[in-house]
Amino acid sequence: MPKVTIENLSAIAAEAQEKHAAYKSILLVCAGTGCVSSGSLSFRDVLQKEIDNRELSSELKVVATGCNGFCAHGPICVVQPEGIFYQHLKARHVPELIEQHFVQGKPVEHLMYRAAKGERAIPLEKDIQFFAKQQTIALRNRGRLDPEDIADAIRRGAYQGLQKVLAEGIKAEALIDLILRSGIRGRGGGGFPTGIKWQTCRQASLERKETAYVVCNGDEGDPGAFMDRSIVEADPHAVIEGMILGALAVGAQEGLVYIRKEYPLALQRLYKAIDQAREWGLLGDDLMGSGMKFDIQVHQGAGAFVCGESTALMASMEGRAGEPRAKYVHTVEYGFRNAPTVLNNVETWASIPPIVSKGAEWFAAIGVGDVSQSPWGGSSGTKVFSLVGNVCNTGLVEVPMGISLREIVYDIGGGIPNGRKLKAIQSGGPSGGCLPESQLDLAVDFDTLQEAGSMMGSGGLIVMDDRTCMVDVARYFISFLMDESCGKCTPCREGLVAVHEVLTRITEGKGRREDLDLLEDLGAAMKEGSLCGLGQSAVNPVLSTLRYFREEYEAHINDGRCPAGACKALIRYTIDTETCNGCGACVKPCPTAAITGKLKQVHIIDQEACIQCGTCLDACNFDAVRVE
Amino acid sequence: MIEVSFEDKKIEVEPGTTLVDAAKAAGVYITTLCHNEQLEPYGACRICSVEIAEGERRRVVTACNYPVHKPVTVFTKSERTLRTRRVILEMMLARWPKVKVIQNMAKLAGVEEPRFAHPDRNESENACILCGLCVRICKEGLWHNVLAFEGRGPTRKVTQPFGEISPECTGCSACADICPTGAITMVDDPNHPADPARIRKAGQVVTREMILLDHQQALMRIVGTAHLVEIMNDYDLLPVNNYKFGDHPDAEKISSPHFRKKYFTQGVPDACYLGCNMACTKAVEGFELKTGPDQGKFVVVDGPEYETLGGSSNMGIFDPEWVIEMNYYCDTYGIDTISYATAMAFVMECYEAGVLNQERTGGLELPFGAADAAIEVLHQMAEGEGFGLTVGLGIRRMKKLFAEKYDADAAFLQDIGMEAKGLEYSEYVTKESLAQQGGYGIALKGAQHDEAWLIFMDMVNKQIPSFEDKAEALHYFPMWRTWFGLNGLCKLPWNDVEPEDNGEVDEPAKVPKHVDGYCNLVAGMTGKEVKPADLILQSERVYNFQRIFNLKMGFGKREHDVIPYRSAGPVTEEEYQSRAERYDGQLKEEQGLDPAAMSLAEKVAATRQWREDRYQKLLDAVYKRRGWTADGIPTLATAKRLGLDQMEGLTELLAAHGVKE
Ligand SMILES: Cc1cc2nc3c(=O)[nH]c(=O)nc-3n(C[C@H](O)[C@H](O)[C@H](O)COP(=O)(O)O)c2cc1C
Ligand code: SF4
Ligand code: FES
Ligand code: FES
Repeated sequence: MPKVTIENLSAIAAEAQEKHAAYKSILLVCAGTGCVSSGSLSFRDVLQKEIDNRELSSELKVVATGCNGFCAHGPICVVQPEGIFYQHLKARHVPELIEQHFVQGKPVEHLMYRAAKGERAIPLEKDIQFFAKQQTIALRNRGRLDPEDIADAIRRGAYQGLQKVLAEGIKAEALIDLILRSGIRGRGGGGFPTGIKWQTCRQASLERKETAYVVCNGDEGDPGAFMDRSIVEADPHAVIEGMILGALAVGAQEGLVYIRKEYPLALQRLYKAIDQAREWGLLGDDLMGSGMKFDIQVHQGAGAFVCGESTALMASMEGRAGEPRAKYVHTVEYGFRNAPTVLNNVETWASIPPIVSKGAEWFAAIGVGDVSQSPWGGSSGTKVFSLVGNVCNTGLVEVPMGISLREIVYDIGGGIPNGRKLKAIQSGGPSGGCLPESQLDLAVDFDTLQEAGSMMGSGGLIVMDDRTCMVDVARYFISFLMDESCGKCTPCREGLVAVHEVLTRITEGKGRREDLDLLEDLGAAMKEGSLCGLGQSAVNPVLSTLRYFREEYEAHINDGRCPAGACKALIRYTIDTETCNGCGACVKPCPTAAITGKLKQVHIIDQEACIQCGTCLDACNFDAVRVE
Repeated sequence: MIEVSFEDKKIEVEPGTTLVDAAKAAGVYITTLCHNEQLEPYGACRICSVEIAEGERRRVVTACNYPVHKPVTVFTKSERTLRTRRVILEMMLARWPKVKVIQNMAKLAGVEEPRFAHPDRNESENACILCGLCVRICKEGLWHNVLAFEGRGPTRKVTQPFGEISPECTGCSACADICPTGAITMVDDPNHPADPARIRKAGQVVTREMILLDHQQALMRIVGTAHLVEIMNDYDLLPVNNYKFGDHPDAEKISSPHFRKKYFTQGVPDACYLGCNMACTKAVEGFELKTGPDQGKFVVVDGPEYETLGGSSNMGIFDPEWVIEMNYYCDTYGIDTISYATAMAFVMECYEAGVLNQERTGGLELPFGAADAAIEVLHQMAEGEGFGLTVGLGIRRMKKLFAEKYDADAAFLQDIGMEAKGLEYSEYVTKESLAQQGGYGIALKGAQHDEAWLIFMDMVNKQIPSFEDKAEALHYFPMWRTWFGLNGLCKLPWNDVEPEDNGEVDEPAKVPKHVDGYCNLVAGMTGKEVKPADLILQSERVYNFQRIFNLKMGFGKREHDVIPYRSAGPVTEEEYQSRAERYDGQLKEEQGLDPAAMSLAEKVAATRQWREDRYQKLLDAVYKRRGWTADGIPTLATAKRLGLDQMEGLTELLAAHGVKE
């Protein structure tokens, strides 16, 4: 294998490009976790076999990529150079696909995306609405390269930022200045300016003559979030290059990536990428022949949400229990092994190389606000979100900062399925907040979301329709956090139990009038009194729903009623005698056999046997089931 | 200094001081629960939450671990402060309604009935409230890690590994001592002491002092006795070149900060016995040997301790790795580092004085500082070959041999051969402490500081100026230290770390509070009350028995308590001149002579005469105090008082040495 040097990087890239271009078509099969679980690997195997059998392997190249983003439609295969998008692929589609598309030159329409049933097929990925409004920086290579082949990454521009810094002899201070001017703020939740963090770390390192560490936070504990996992799976070299650049800036020689064990594919690709980078001279004792020394170790976390918190993460890496400590002394100054430490999120690291190669101004121009004086002046660049919940196009999206929630939900997400109404958007992970429909035109950036009582967090977006009870939602997040609280400090450990108790009694119709004050009291003590960010922000789901959906709480307490019809203790399912035509569709699905009635006669629900699961509601084709 | 303002008080503190400490200094009360001065700030209970303002910025922080770095105003009674504390206490009260500390704090904060029912409500008065004090005292204070938290969030609890009583637990009971709710009970000791609680209490005092005070006083837990190197060097007491001098510019290289930084690897307690909370044993791990039969091996070396380091400086060697190597081989061969080093120092001085030469050493060049040759001699000693055979004889026999075989000046050899009763001196320069000269000279087993270490009392603190004072000290301390030997106890916890207020008591050198502690141990173990004087009497009996034993074996008289002059004063002119100011001053002040009018030789002689005379006077005073004759033999009356007269043949033995009453 070649040793990559400052001089030969572009030649290596060109050579890889030449090999790449020699194929007539590249078939990019998504091998992200979502598509793998819906069978993309067996599809890929059958595809490869078919190509081999037909002796087409010199023309057609199959590449297993990381997550393409449009996971709801997986397994996915994109055919380049045209960019034709195939979805929901099964092994049985292979012969047809090869024959029609690649032998006869007629792309297969019925495997293409359609905005809705009966609408026309959209052949090109870029024309699909889901992709149209996206702008990819961190995800620049998603579904575009083979994450297990460093040459392919180099072909797509990997290590050019590093090459630029080394070739031009850009000094650490200038590099930090560049990051500062780009305005980039941390993508892991806090939104702290990355440049300021690096600067402080460098200073501490110089003052104390202690070598700094750079650490990548890939813990990603938010339920439903998979931004970081997808970046590592799709483009591990982006993270590695980002970390090398960070190491150059702060003078680190050792980097660590903290990833949870539950991400086996990400781990496997990262290990492979690190090995290849070492072999190719991009990690180790003499990076690109420049004499720079830097290497990366991977630390597998056991999967505790709190281990994403900086001090707990470092405690865990040092072999101690993953419990936070007070941050009155910051980890940039006294972090891993008490040395100055830069901790950045996966997405932050992955965004660094393009900033370095394309320039601070390019990045600063994307997004909102004015970051020319200070990164605090706005939110520049793009942000990756995992869009999930009651939305048509679930998946991974990267959008410019400042885009509105409405554009994300409706333009990219395709709106709410089943013709239901949007009720709320939860952003910022479990300790984020819920915003109502009226806030849909809010700009998505660090400061606006914060003001509205939510937060950017690491990029989870959960869309909820009108059948969602906001008290119940708050209770769900509180119960998640209660289990994930490390238990070290009283307000978080006991406060979450208390809040959970109170919310439970409200959802059971046993709430008291004073309970809303009590929740606010508990919330204030947790916010001010908790040791770490988990406890401090844990009541956000409660406080934000209280702020925007107070009447829903009041309905539970005052009238013993759940307006969304979700709280089981407060609802009864009945069958409307007028509407029911006795089709019997609801009888079989009911898990407790609570529904009886002769065919073509009105059916009834036995209230003793009913467990309020709502199956009949979905089963009825005539809207005859009522929730009271 | 940085200003910290409270509602009605102000104080200036060092940067980094915590708010709790600042408040304490200002006389302001802030409630704490999980905080304890023995431990690192932890910040878990959050009871100490206070609102602060730094410039424009107002927020709530925990006082126990918030370090002051900017001028800060603390609002201990603001609404935010009070509300945070109140709600936290409400949470705790809901879970542990019967625990006294919580009830009290809740009452103070005005919390009555919690507004919600806790699913894990615990009605015990002694419930564990998860403050973590026990876990931390075990881990941070004692490095034992027997206790730990288990479980996350609401399932968190304190436990031992696998939920069983850990075999690693030494039963020190520091956890039970520190627990604010009495949640920890101790399982009784298998040795069935008469009063286990009393023993535990005495032990808890020691443990608390070790944790709180050792790092201010001695660093025994961090570097062990190695910390003495720098102290001895500062006070001109570190033996250099066979006790000629008391300090050296290179001493820093073998001092404890250097070892701590570069060599000592153990961050865990390594004690002679598991329960010791001083745990002063230290070790160097992964050390590659450069010489000898184990050359090239990577080994663990237990030490080095002070005497080994002082022995090295005594040979004029200041190479830390050499000391570690020597330490390893002495341990491996079963050779005492003190005897080896002191004997080598004697050999080196003989070499420099021309008594020895390469021909006589089997080709080895052995001036002071000859590290390679010195380690070679050590290997030879162990092998029983070459010049090692000679050094292995020890100083007493070497003196005789060199005088007879090489016609060396026997008197000079006697002056510089640092042994008494045939045992090599340990590593302290005693020239300016007459009491310590006695400590070495009179010691029953030879020149060993274990019986009495009086240098600081005598020379530095000048607490025992008269002969009678010194004699009293040479009575009390040898008896007291003998008591440790009688009971198989280590003496270090007695006075290497002292109670905080020890300076204020009548006889600080005796560390009376600790002596009381030992009385409690004896009483707790045996069920019999004892007083400090009873302990001394126990020792006196044994000590006099041993002296009589020595007498019987031909070692128990005044003539055996002689010391080499090097331990009392400057033997050579070189030595005199190295401390000329001091010796000249003494000629003038103590002897009324005029040094300016004297030749160097005259000054050396006059100094010697005065010092030797004082030593004899000291012997007189000590013998008298101990109830011995002028020849250093216990009188019959003394033997009777101690009940030794029942020994068979005692009267005859004493009579044979002229002692009749
Ligand atoms: C409870 C808690 C969990 C967190 N989890 C994560 C996480 O999973 N991933 C992450 O990057 N940051 C997480 N953070 C934020 C990190 O502490 C830290 O701010 C971040 O990694 C810094 O990187 P950035 O500046 O690039 O965002 C968490 C914070 C808290 C308080
Ligand atoms: S806030 Fe919660 S997670 Fe953070 S330290 Fe306290 S108990 Fe642990
Ligand atoms: S996993 Fe294939 S598109 Fe996300
Ligand atoms: S005393 Fe400060 S947090 Fe417990």
